[in-house]
Amino acid sequence: MSTETVEQPTGFFEAAPLTFDRAEGWRYFRAPGEVYQRDGIWFLTSHAAVRFAHQHPEIFSSAKAFDNLGSPVTLIPLAVDPPDHVRYRRLLDPLFAPRVIGAIEPELRRQVREIIGAFADRGSCDVMEDLANLFPTQVFLTLFGLPLEDRDTFIDWVRTIVEAPGSTASDGATPEAAAAGAALFGYLQDFIVAKRAHPGDDVLSTILAMSGDDAFSDDEVLGLCFLFTLAGLDTVTAVIGFVLARLAGDGELRQRVVDDPDLTGPVIEEILRLELPAPFTPRVVLSDVEVCGVTIPAGSFVFLVLASANREDRDNADDIDLAQADRGHLSFGGGIHRCLGSHLARRELRIVVEELHRMIPAYSVAEGYVPRIHWPSGTLHLTSLPITFPVRSPASGGA
Amino acid sequence: MRVVVDSGVCTGHGRCYALVPELFEDDEWGHSSVRGDGEITEAQRPQAGRAVAACPERAITILD
Repeated sequence: MSTETVEQPTGFFEAAPLTFDRAEGWRYFRAPGEVYQRDGIWFLTSHAAVRFAHQHPEIFSSAKAFDNLGSPVTLIPLAVDPPDHVRYRRLLDPLFAPRVIGAIEPELRRQVREIIGAFADRGSCDVMEDLANLFPTQVFLTLFGLPLEDRDTFIDWVRTIVEAPGSTASDGATPEAAAAGAALFGYLQDFIVAKRAHPGDDVLSTILAMSGDDAFSDDEVLGLCFLFTLAGLDTVTAVIGFVLARLAGDGELRQRVVDDPDLTGPVIEEILRLELPAPFTPRVVLSDVEVCGVTIPAGSFVFLVLASANREDRDNADDIDLAQADRGHLSFGGGIHRCLGSHLARRELRIVVEELHRMIPAYSVAEGYVPRIHWPSGTLHLTSLPITFPVRSPASGGA
Repeated sequence: MRVVVDSGVCTGHGRCYALVPELFEDDEWGHSSVRGDGEITEAQRPQAGRAVAACPERAITILD
């Protein structure tokens, strides 16, 4: 690591040692205290502090936190505070409930097998490029009834927007991100018009068909689609990478999960607890508020550090412990803004691991490669994950 | 002995019905409700406790 060229960090946030080791990085954020301010940003790092904010959405505004992202429409339902928020979730939660996702699972499994099949006989691949980047976008396109052939264009837009510097801080968007945002907007706008005219059997058509008091305006649907693409693609991509990096880097753990597929859920939960794609939830405090004995003044910009809150309720909290995997975590947030796509995300992760293990049960990180994340960034993901695996010759049979 | 879900606190993480489907079920919104009247036997207590610990919102309570 000493041979890496590292740019001089500019502030407390940017200087966090997260690139190679999240355990060290989250200790860095937790060390100054449960509630503290650095460079104009307040950090809430303990479980108690984060939960307090989750339980008081009337004080910790999500709407205000997303005001200055340069989005021309409101990101629904994330950037909406109570009382309006409840209306959107009442209408949207049923579209992302487990029973709905179960209905498209066979199709999603087919798509994953196709993606894995494209590299299964190569003996090596880059998990990020060849799998993790592709599948979540295909899921979104499938769910929303959009053409799968637009996948790669879509991925480029979202990557440009999400990876732009300042995408979670308050410095607005870069010109590249603004251009990608405009292109994505135009694309979605065209589809909203087309789907209003010719509805299909998909989530987008269902939303557009809501009528009377429940009806969504075009701007509301756009805000919704825009949020889904920003919050639902890069994040699942990231966790697929984190899960497979852990399994590829720990042959014993991987073998346990291959031998006992019932451990797939628990291992995913533990890696979700430790490796968060969206570890910082932005909020703006609407009135002076005391959290864990510290007063945060009205108007303050706050990060709820979900990642450090996840690491304090047990011994050896930095390690995967399958026996304690049931005990919950805050990686999908909490309170009224609990990730709308959490059921979908969990299903996607399980499908990827199960299908990969059927087709490629033994794999490891390419020799000499040390996985690292792109940092600083609003969302965390591995830059690359080269793996190698034995190629099963057709003659050797197998199931 | 009963297990109850506070519907005002549940936000639909869905861990309880994923882990302990014999005691909890999902509704149209993906939120949780107890099956039947929520009466549980002593033998079911560990399962109910598992759901209590799994709930990120602490929405589940066992009433003796």
